[in-house]
Amino acid sequence: MLEDKQLTLLQDISLTVAKGQTIAIVGSSGSGKTTLLSILAGLDLPSQGEVYLKNKPLHKLNEEQRSQVRAEHVGFIFQQFLLISSLTALENVMLPAELANDDNAKQLALDLLAQVGLSERANHFPAQLSGGEQQRVAIARAFISKPDVLFADEPTGNLDKKTSTYIADLLFELNTKYDTTLVLVTHDLTLAQRCQRRIEMQGGQLVNGPIPSDISKEQCGTETTHIEVTE
Amino acid sequence: MMNFLKVNWVKQSIQLLKHELKRGELTIVVLAIVLGVASVFSLAGFSGKIKQALLHESTSFIAADRVLQSSRKLVLHPSSKQPDGLSRVQIDNKSQQLNIKQAEKVLMSSMVFAGDVMALVEIQAVSSAYPLRGELLVSDSVDSTRVSAVNAPDLGSVYIEEKLLSVLGVTIGDVIDIGESRFTIKAIAKQIPDASFSVFTSGVKIIINVADLDKTQLVQPGSRLTYKYLFSGDTDDIEALTTWLKPKLNESQRWHDIQSKQSPLANALNRAEKYLSLASLLGIILAAVAVSVASRRYAQRHQSSVGVYKAMGASLSHIRKLYYLHWSMLSLFSILIGLLSGYILAQLGFYAIQDYLPVQLSTGSENGASTLGLVSLGFYPLVIAIFTGVLCSFAFAITPLKELVSTSPLVVIRGAQQTSSSQQLSIRISQFLIPLLALLFLLFIFSGDIFLSFSLLIGGIAVSVLLLIIGRLLMKVTRNIGTKAGASWHLALANLQRRAKENSVQLVSFTIAIKLLLMIIVIKSALLSEWQAQLPEQTPNLFLVNMTKNQAAEVDEFAIQQQITAGDIYAVVLGRLTAINDDKITKKVSKEKTEDNDNGRQGVGRELNLTWRENLPKENTIVEGQWWQKGSISTNQAQVSIEQTLAKRLNIKIGDNLTFQLGSEVIKVPVTSIRKVNWQSMQPNFYMIFHPQVLADYPASYISSIYLPVNKKIQLQQFLSTYPTIIVIDVDEMILQLRKVIEQVSKAVEFILVLVVFAGCLVLVAQVQASMEEREREIAILKTIGAKGSLLRNSILLEFVALGGIAGLMASVAMELTVYLLQRFLFNMETSFHAEYWLLGILSGAIFVGIVGLLSCWRLLNMSSVTLIRRTM
Repeated sequence: MLEDKQLTLLQDISLTVAKGQTIAIVGSSGSGKTTLLSILAGLDLPSQGEVYLKNKPLHKLNEEQRSQVRAEHVGFIFQQFLLISSLTALENVMLPAELANDDNAKQLALDLLAQVGLSERANHFPAQLSGGEQQRVAIARAFISKPDVLFADEPTGNLDKKTSTYIADLLFELNTKYDTTLVLVTHDLTLAQRCQRRIEMQGGQLVNGPIPSDISKEQCGTETTHIEVTE
Repeated sequence: MMNFLKVNWVKQSIQLLKHELKRGELTIVVLAIVLGVASVFSLAGFSGKIKQALLHESTSFIAADRVLQSSRKLVLHPSSKQPDGLSRVQIDNKSQQLNIKQAEKVLMSSMVFAGDVMALVEIQAVSSAYPLRGELLVSDSVDSTRVSAVNAPDLGSVYIEEKLLSVLGVTIGDVIDIGESRFTIKAIAKQIPDASFSVFTSGVKIIINVADLDKTQLVQPGSRLTYKYLFSGDTDDIEALTTWLKPKLNESQRWHDIQSKQSPLANALNRAEKYLSLASLLGIILAAVAVSVASRRYAQRHQSSVGVYKAMGASLSHIRKLYYLHWSMLSLFSILIGLLSGYILAQLGFYAIQDYLPVQLSTGSENGASTLGLVSLGFYPLVIAIFTGVLCSFAFAITPLKELVSTSPLVVIRGAQQTSSSQQLSIRISQFLIPLLALLFLLFIFSGDIFLSFSLLIGGIAVSVLLLIIGRLLMKVTRNIGTKAGASWHLALANLQRRAKENSVQLVSFTIAIKLLLMIIVIKSALLSEWQAQLPEQTPNLFLVNMTKNQAAEVDEFAIQQQITAGDIYAVVLGRLTAINDDKITKKVSKEKTEDNDNGRQGVGRELNLTWRENLPKENTIVEGQWWQKGSISTNQAQVSIEQTLAKRLNIKIGDNLTFQLGSEVIKVPVTSIRKVNWQSMQPNFYMIFHPQVLADYPASYISSIYLPVNKKIQLQQFLSTYPTIIVIDVDEMILQLRKVIEQVSKAVEFILVLVVFAGCLVLVAQVQASMEEREREIAILKTIGAKGSLLRNSILLEFVALGGIAGLMASVAMELTVYLLQRFLFNMETSFHAEYWLLGILSGAIFVGIVGLLSCWRLLNMSSVTLIRRTM
């Protein structure tokens, strides 16, 4: 539950996501999808309840410690791409690896750019790239640190249909390749249907089963990205 | 070093700086800091030099930088009675130590003789180094216009004023007797630099060498002499001497510079100095406002990047180091550019006014200009400009920077800064507190007056809050008007109202900038017109002194015949104030002494020049009591009017009875009015003016002033040759010198005005730029929904025009109030209302803000909808 001007945004949510699983959070605008994503990713804190990411209790960590968790385990893809305008495509992709002091950042970034088909655009600045290209750079950036969990907020929300399909294909392909857990928030039902799980939110609550029967609580051990949000 | 450059945050910081500089993203921040540093550097350097040069120039009016004046000769060694007093040896040692030049001048009245003919003259005995400043110009023949600058005359020779030749019937090369000694007339003194303007001095001057003074045997016990010790040197050395010397002065000694002299020039200089300081202060305030506005925009622009860094797991310390380094490099870069621009601006300023300032004075050093002809601005302006740049860069940007660094990573999702209300309050407080404290500090450094700085700041805050409220109200009113106007106006005014909060801040900045500009223009023209009024065309340039009543009438007739302008005629009766309300005043108290001494009341200590008038003289105003009415002349009522500073000094009030000794007679008159006298007017002024009935029957001499054009000089000389007793005081040269200095001051003031206007304009541009992102989004939306280009263009233009117009109106009101206070309390000038500047404020605000706004949005207006949408995503 988040308290902001006495407004309850989320309540009674208990959700566990297993490692490598792809999960889509769907729901109408204002249903609490984005708030849930923010809490799951450790960008925000619940006013009550517990959140675990790779067994780390995010709800007990401060901003700096959560940053550290994100640096080690999390990747992001945003609807508005959010590339750093002063950095080239290559430098944008390198950024998370550099923050993690990875000496091999440049080579990794070049490989990833090649995988998203942007090798020739490596030295271009974001303003010189189209929307689809920017999102491909963002995807490459998200995967460079080989995150355990990738959070995507409306990754195709700003793209046309053809580009959306291409981006979605790329996202799922890399997800499979790197065995990453994918949590995405989307309005796009086609995209949502490509995920193994779909949960729907309404008025800040989950309206269908949070944990599918094929994943038991016991399976959410160290190998599981265990995210639990309870009141 | 190389390793440091490889550190991630250093690399990213440098990358960010390079990229943003290249793309012009930092133009406004850089311009704001450059502007601050450049204005301070150029204003401090320029006004400092101008002040120095003007003072230097004007020191010729006292022939030195400082003068120690005394009625007694300095003792050679400190006496046992006054061990703390000044002695000649001490002063010589100190001057030598400080590398200060010295000269000496002794003034006294005496008779000179040429055979049987005699005349009363003022003898000026000067040492060989005289004059230390200005020029003593002499001519070696009566008809020659060629003059040469000289020092003291050789032993046994004199320079005399031209008038004395005809009075004594002598010529150059003849011999005259002064006291017990004989002198040869070597040349005619055409200009004596420190010849004071006083119609009551003995008139014609003779300059002798001070080494000849003893030979004349004129100096006897009880002789009335004035000793002047003249000093000149570098400003710092003179200041050091002043600090050392001042505490040692006794009651008969005075230490003064040109500014402490009561003269129109001192007045003009004092005001110009205040004006230049005020202009510098306003320049700094404008620069600080610009930095503040630009840094807020900078922080807003980088919020999403910080959010991304944080989302990617960057630590707080990484982000802090990255942005603080970025801002520091940016500040350093801007400060350097600012120093360079300030230097160029000041050089251009010097170049522009070089014809008005003496060459050797505008060069800044004794050695003159450098090989390039550039003027060194000095160390102080450099330090103060760097300090201002650093303070502006950090104090005015620290809050936005801290906010930026603490941006929540949530902005990547929500797109806006999320802060709790309590945080917002603390941020808001610090947002204002730190810059305000910094501003107070800067104001204090520049004014050296904590009270003035505090008043300016508190006044500024009060005015800003008031402006904020009025601005909001005005925007509401215009919104209502807008609903009845055309589509463009409707949209413009709706936008204005919708962004009321942001616009109010913008409005206050516009208002402050326009207000400061108007203020500086209004005060400038008020100062200039007052200076002009002080020396209008046909200011009397000749004073005729020592006339009889009949001679005065004939002079009047001569003036009418020759169609020359004659001033009022004043009768002068010498008298001594002996008692106030029957309390006898003490025998002799020097002018400077203020504390009571012995028993009885304090007096003036010398004979007074008394006059009578039917009407109040022009430059006088009654501050207490009443001037006698015309009808009361026949009532034969004895009464006197007294000048206010003397009344205060002697504690004389309306109704007090004053007793005067006039020769052998004693008169007693009540005080019926107290007058304020403009001592700066080039007119005879009097402490005591009597009702005509009181003094009319006493023997008097008369003074008249006339304006004599050059082409009428010969006629006057012919006319006066029949009246050898009339003394002529020619102040033409002094008026010319005064006009020249006033012209220089005016030019300096105008140049500084241009700099401040430039600073103000940049604040306006910075403020318009600050709202660009928001406008970009709006234009994108409006274009997408099909708004026509002309509608968008007009609505943007009109929105800025309305904003500028409202700001201009508020600025005019605020300016009127501030100018009133400044004229009243800082400049001690007559206050006035400036309706014409209201129109200027409103129109210039509307036009300038309108044009800048439209030009800033022009690029956006011409972009396609797709590009705009992509940019704003």
